[in-house]
Amino acid sequence: MRRVLVVACCLALWPTVAAAAPEDVANRISNEIMSPYCPGVTLHDCPSRQADELREQIEGWAAQGWDDDRIMAELEDQFGEGIRATPPSEGGGILWWILPGIVAVLGAFFAGALARRWSRARAEEIEEERLEARREQAALSAEQRQRLSAELADHEARMMGVQPKGRA
Amino acid sequence: MTSLGGLGRPSLIAAGVLMLLAVGLSLWGALRHRPGPTEAGRRALTAAAAFVALATVALVSALFAHDFSLDYVASYSSRSLSRGYTLAALWGGMEGSLLFWTLLLCAFAALALRTTRTQPTALRAWTAVVLGGIASFFLLLLLAPANPFRMLTDVPADGTGLNPLLQSPGMMIHPPLLYTGLVGFSIPFAFGMAALATKDLEETWLKQTRRWTLFAWSALSIGIVLGGAWAYTELGWGGYWAWDAVENASFMPWLTSTAYLHSVVIQEKRKMFKVWNLSLILMTYVLAVFGTFLTRSGILSSIHTFTEGPIGKWFLPFLALMLIGGLGLIGARLDALKSRNRFDSLLSRESAFLANNVLFLAAAFAVLWGTIYPILAEAISGVRLAVGPPFFNAVFIPIGLALIALTGLGPLIAWRRMNPRSFARMIRLPLVMGTVAAVVSAAFGVRSAGALTAFALCAFTATAVIAEFVRGSRVHRSRENLGWLPALGHTIVRNRRRYGGYIVHLGVVLIVLGFTGSAFKIERSAHLAEGETMAVGDYTLRYEELVRGETDEKFIFQANIAASDGDEVTLLEPQRNLHKVQQQFQSEVAISTSPIEDLYVVVTAVDPDGAASIRAFVNPLTWWIWAGAAVMAMGMTVLLSEPATRTAPAPSPAAVRRPAVVTR
Repeated sequence: MRRVLVVACCLALWPTVAAAAPEDVANRISNEIMSPYCPGVTLHDCPSRQADELREQIEGWAAQGWDDDRIMAELEDQFGEGIRATPPSEGGGILWWILPGIVAVLGAFFAGALARRWSRARAEEIEEERLEARREQAALSAEQRQRLSAELADHEARMMGVQPKGRA
Repeated sequence: MTSLGGLGRPSLIAAGVLMLLAVGLSLWGALRHRPGPTEAGRRALTAAAAFVALATVALVSALFAHDFSLDYVASYSSRSLSRGYTLAALWGGMEGSLLFWTLLLCAFAALALRTTRTQPTALRAWTAVVLGGIASFFLLLLLAPANPFRMLTDVPADGTGLNPLLQSPGMMIHPPLLYTGLVGFSIPFAFGMAALATKDLEETWLKQTRRWTLFAWSALSIGIVLGGAWAYTELGWGGYWAWDAVENASFMPWLTSTAYLHSVVIQEKRKMFKVWNLSLILMTYVLAVFGTFLTRSGILSSIHTFTEGPIGKWFLPFLALMLIGGLGLIGARLDALKSRNRFDSLLSRESAFLANNVLFLAAAFAVLWGTIYPILAEAISGVRLAVGPPFFNAVFIPIGLALIALTGLGPLIAWRRMNPRSFARMIRLPLVMGTVAAVVSAAFGVRSAGALTAFALCAFTATAVIAEFVRGSRVHRSRENLGWLPALGHTIVRNRRRYGGYIVHLGVVLIVLGFTGSAFKIERSAHLAEGETMAVGDYTLRYEELVRGETDEKFIFQANIAASDGDEVTLLEPQRNLHKVQQQFQSEVAISTSPIEDLYVVVTAVDPDGAASIRAFVNPLTWWIWAGAAVMAMGMTVLLSEPATRTAPAPSPAAVRRPAVVTR
């Protein structure tokens, strides 16, 4: 059964390779560059007539067989490096990419270390509380133990939002 | 209708004077612990709020009376504008929106101080000082650089009218909800700062502001979704979120406030995270005001920023004062804020909440980082650069997916300590469902790793959350002999805070499902003459005819398009309209929607001979975003309906003598 499942998973995940249509390439690239005609908006989202024409031009380049890198280089030549909708992925530009990740990792590390320290300190307290509870339980009579169990059950029922048994 | 515009500025001056009086009296009451001046300060603040309301009425009356002697009325309304959009013009421009913001702030402040009259004098007095101080700043803006009652010497016969993009039903609700959310956070912020000032650092301020926080967060959440709906139906680019600077401005405080909503639970239950919670509410409010600064300073380019205004420089000292003052107060009270309590175990709900907070903060940082990138990049390199969706998607989506995983993990883990075996038992079903979802998606042809992960996590989290409802209902069924549905009702009603939260989480899962659909978006463009066809996805679109029309406001060019998917034919009627006053073209989108996919058609240009440029999109699963928002709204309603007197049980570890091992 497990083998069948593994084979099914492999078949399901088998990649289908298909060349992207020029229009899909133009749509993808126009989502990756800022519009020279609409401030703060990608070329894809820019409603101006010139933006339509530039999208058509990119589609034309893709139809001629230009790859993404060549199209981006041509766009940078025409409009400058500010046309990219992402920070540069080399040199100092890498910092823009990795800093959010560094913050997340450092935050997770700091929080993890804090939680670990807290839980270690608490572990000793818990052990002591457990011993004390055992001592107290041992000192209880059978009737007191029964009452304690009932009250604990009631407390848990209240935490669930349920009316405890035997109460109006 | 008669214009009361002449009353506007005197009302604002009176409000400003009264607000300063309120701050002075409250400060006196706070420093001397005197209830008399504190109550007088509250009344002065309420009177100031009444004058701000009068100024707002004055501006609204001027808008409806077409009093174009006021610059604001001439700039943002016109005689042909419908009544609804004439009202929307109140927040359609910078000065009016600031007046509306100030009105909400003053009204919320007056209400919050009135409903907390039984609270300690010092806490209320300091709260009034903070709220009055903030309101004074906004009144100063309205009296100096952002005067909505500026008079024109040459009065035009008609106004410029409201931006056609803003003439949408969504814009009647979206900005007021966003402002309600952003302004609403001023109440917990003010109470938090007051608690620091008075050194009353127990949970009083949290309990007093819990409803306000929930209310503000709910309004902001729905406001953000409505903003997405507006972008989807009005902007015509087939999407709902573009990581635009203004969208980000409302999203950042949403992220930090969501972290805050989760971490206050730890403080209420375990009396921990006091410094953290105060820092979070400070961050949330500073980000809310920072967003207002971004929107109005013109420092960033965006579709819906107000034009470059003179008020940017006023905000920076105010932001600096709030940030330095808040951090200074927290720093000064660090010793008093320390908690004696500790985590019982790494595998506990507390740890999950901590991880949740780290992720929300990392997400907020990522969004802030991308938003201020153009400013920093220009300062460093001198080149005007910008970042768009590719950057935000790359840094935000992994964090977002981790948050969805935590949303599912949270309910599986017990408070304080969880037996690993119980955890393994609890997580089994969600894991199986997540795996099944991934395999089924792959079998249906999904190849994107991100989409497969998202589908798997949605199934995982939905199963974990639904299992909580099943467990709760089962207890009620057995204890109260009820059917499943009444038992579910009892489960929710008896613990609205817990299950209301779970309903919100289910809504979030549906929204993520909708977002995932964008990975399969198909888009096609064509220039068609009447009678020609184009294909998009499985649809064939036939451009039947161009219908021309005219109203008082615009010339209408409507493309009648028959969309066929082989079985059914749907008639879509997108428009390309020329607004007469602004001489501006605006597209009206046509959408055929279903839970599986939306067919979205927009006309981007119309030629004199009737030929039209058409962009068509197939947007899978988008419907689930709006359905998820509706589910979230239901959860918020459940949360807000919790009786005010009920407080969460907060057993301190010292008081609990029984063994701390909790199994489920």
